[in-house]
Parts: sequence; structure tokens; C-alpha cells
Amino acid sequence: MTLAYVPDDALAHRLDPRSKLLVQLGFAAAAFAHTTPRGLAALSVVAVGCLRLAGGGPRDLWAYRFALPFLLVAPVVAGATLGAPWFRIGRAVDTGLASYRVLLVLFIAAAYVRSTPVRDSRAAIQHTVPGRPGQLLAAGVALVFRFLPVLKRDLLTARDAMRARLGDELAVRDRMRIVAAAGINRAFGRADRLGTALAARCFAWNPTLPRLAFGRADAVALAVACALFAAALVGAL
Amino acid sequence: MATNTESVDLVGDEVATNLARAALFAALVGAFAYVSFPNPVSPVSVTLQVLGVFLAGIFLGPVWGAASLVLYLAAGALGAPVFQGGSAGFVELVGGTAGYLWSYPIAAALVGAIVHRGGDLRDLDAVSVPVLVGAMTAGTVVIYAMGVVGLYLNLELTLVEATVQGAVVFLPAEGAKIAAAIGIVRSDAIAAE
Repeated sequence: MTLAYVPDDALAHRLDPRSKLLVQLGFAAAAFAHTTPRGLAALSVVAVGCLRLAGGGPRDLWAYRFALPFLLVAPVVAGATLGAPWFRIGRAVDTGLASYRVLLVLFIAAAYVRSTPVRDSRAAIQHTVPGRPGQLLAAGVALVFRFLPVLKRDLLTARDAMRARLGDELAVRDRMRIVAAAGINRAFGRADRLGTALAARCFAWNPTLPRLAFGRADAVALAVACALFAAALVGAL
Repeated sequence: MATNTESVDLVGDEVATNLARAALFAALVGAFAYVSFPNPVSPVSVTLQVLGVFLAGIFLGPVWGAASLVLYLAAGALGAPVFQGGSAGFVELVGGTAGYLWSYPIAAALVGAIVHRGGDLRDLDAVSVPVLVGAMTAGTVVIYAMGVVGLYLNLELTLVEATVQGAVVFLPAEGAKIAAAIGIVRSDAIAAE
């Protein structure tokens, strides 16, 4: 199950995407400035609160499950050393806190993705980054969101097909080549069809995007973002 | 409701197709994060993302290859699970592995510029294998140099420790990726022109 926008009437769904992005940035800054047990405990409350306000729960984090083994293994790898004392607790704890920080940011990211339609993200980018680069960036990011699950499925299918033909006995180099070639072929095929479809449907530099406006709830979100930035500043000084 | 009275300013066919390819390639680099292969010299498995960076430079050229990786970084920052291990969020762009991520667009531009000798795409059949190997080696150097500096600045490692943990253990796998990339470019498997 891939994380995607879920229509809902939750508070986060009514916020302007730009204020949600500011909260995300503020949260990342605060998490970076306060990577201590106390700081992260406080930020855990904020992170869980944000996900609840988006109507989400633990199920939404399932999309990021592939990140969990990395986050769990990282402290062990960081703590291990060649030679006495073999394991340095201090470094493992530091990396463990950094791993937990990434996990908290995933909560915030899940809240954003769940509560924001892709076209709102597109409008937010286009309002923030001026000119044609902004328009290309906005349209491109929207396409990446839409096609990531499809291409992931393509690659996993290619790998399963290779395994079914005893491909696991090939050299790593050949396995990489087979999976990557299948992925690129599918991606180019989809890109060419998409390019034709975009041209046929009047893909324009000035499309009509959803109107974005800051409402009353956004004032609260902006205040939260400002508080997070202030906390980051205090921590950095 | 605001009324927009401008006339429609169409995006040209060429830009539309290139944007579609760049976006699909960015999604592909993200999808590569989910396919891991055993690393011959380290318990940490390797993913194909760096291979995606090389191929973006080779197939899309320096400009659209770099643009593709910029889209990848932007989508990841907004929450698409495209980074190493399916991670996401702004914090990845400033965290321990940020150096690797920021190096991707630069490496794709460099690989593309060497392979295509400038901004215009040329026929890949006309590119010799030593040029491909040289371009991808240069890309690897950029990725790992920036990655090691990122590790060195973010984690409390010495430069030697950062180099061993962040580069040396991955280099054999990079060799396999370069070989795989050459196999892909030289085979008839890729039909797109």
C-alpha cells in the first residue's frame, strides 16, 4: 500500500499547502537543533499530533516501512569498531537519536502527503518558485508522485520474473543489468506515452491551478511553524 | 473565483516529452531504492540509485539528466518515499547522507556532459566504452567525494573513517554498476530514441 492523498475533512486537509510545508521545514530545523532525548520527546508529541490532525495513524507509516531496517541497523553499525572496545555506546546513542529524528520527520511527511492532493503541492511549488523553472519543477514533482508506485511495481515484477528463471544464480552485475534495463524500458515507454498525452491535452505553461489562500486555521499552522523555527534558533545558539 | 483571461501558453512538444522523461526517470531512481542487491564486501546491501544517476546523465543528457535528479530531490523533500531505504523529508537533505543526495544532479550533469560532449545529445552508439567508463568514474568520484564530506561534517567521524565507511566499502559495487550500465547502453534492450 503506497502512501497517497486520502480525502478527508480533517483540519490538516483544510490548511494551505504552503503553511504545511513551512511546518515541515520548521520541524526538520527544530529536530536538527534538538537531537537530544528531551528535544525529541517533545517533538514526538508534535509529530504524532500532526499525523492525527491529518486523520492519519500508524497505518500511514507503513509506506515508509522499508526505511525502518536502515534506521534500526544504523546505530549498531555506527557503534561497532574494529579493535577494542569493539562497541562504542556513545556513538551508537548519537546515531540512534539521529535515526529516531528521521522517523519523526517521516510522521510529518506522512501527514503532509495524506492531507495534500498532488495538484495542491504543484500549485504551492509554482507559487513559491517563480517563472518557468518553477512551473517545470511543479509539474515534474507532481508526475514523480504519480509514477513512483507504478515504476516500483514494474521493477519488482522484473525482479520476480528474473528470480523465476533462476536469475539469482547470475553475477550481481548481470542481475543489476537485467532489472535496470527492464525498469528503464518501462519508464521510457510510459514517458513517451505520457509526453504524447501531455501535448494532446494542451499541456500549458499557465494551467488553471487550484486557488490557494491562507485561512484562519493557517494562522495557527504558521504560529506552530514560527515556534519550531524559534526553537531551532534557540537550540543552534 | 478569479477569472484568468490570458490565452493558453502551450508547452512545446519537445519540452513536454523531455519533462515526461525527466519525471519518469526521477521516479525510476526513487523506485530503485526498493531493489537491493548483496554487497560483496559489506553487510549493507546496495541499491541501484547511483546506477539511475549514471543512466540519467547518459540517456537524458547533462541538462535534463540534472533536471531529473532535481525533481527527485524535490519530490523526496515533499514526502515521496524515494530516498535510500524508502525514506523521505527535508531532514534527509541536511542529514548525514545529504552529501550523496546533493551530488546526484551534479554527477548526472557531469556524466551527461562527458558522454555527449556538451549540451546536445549524440547517438550513444558513437560513444566508445572508455568514454562511458571515464564519465561514470568521474560521476562516482563526485558522488563519493561529496558524500564523504557530508558524513565527515555531520557525524563525528574522522576523514579516514568517513572514507572507509562511506566510500571504500561501496566501490566494488560501483564497479558492478558501471559494468551493468555499459551492458544496458550497448544492448538493444532500450528502444527509446
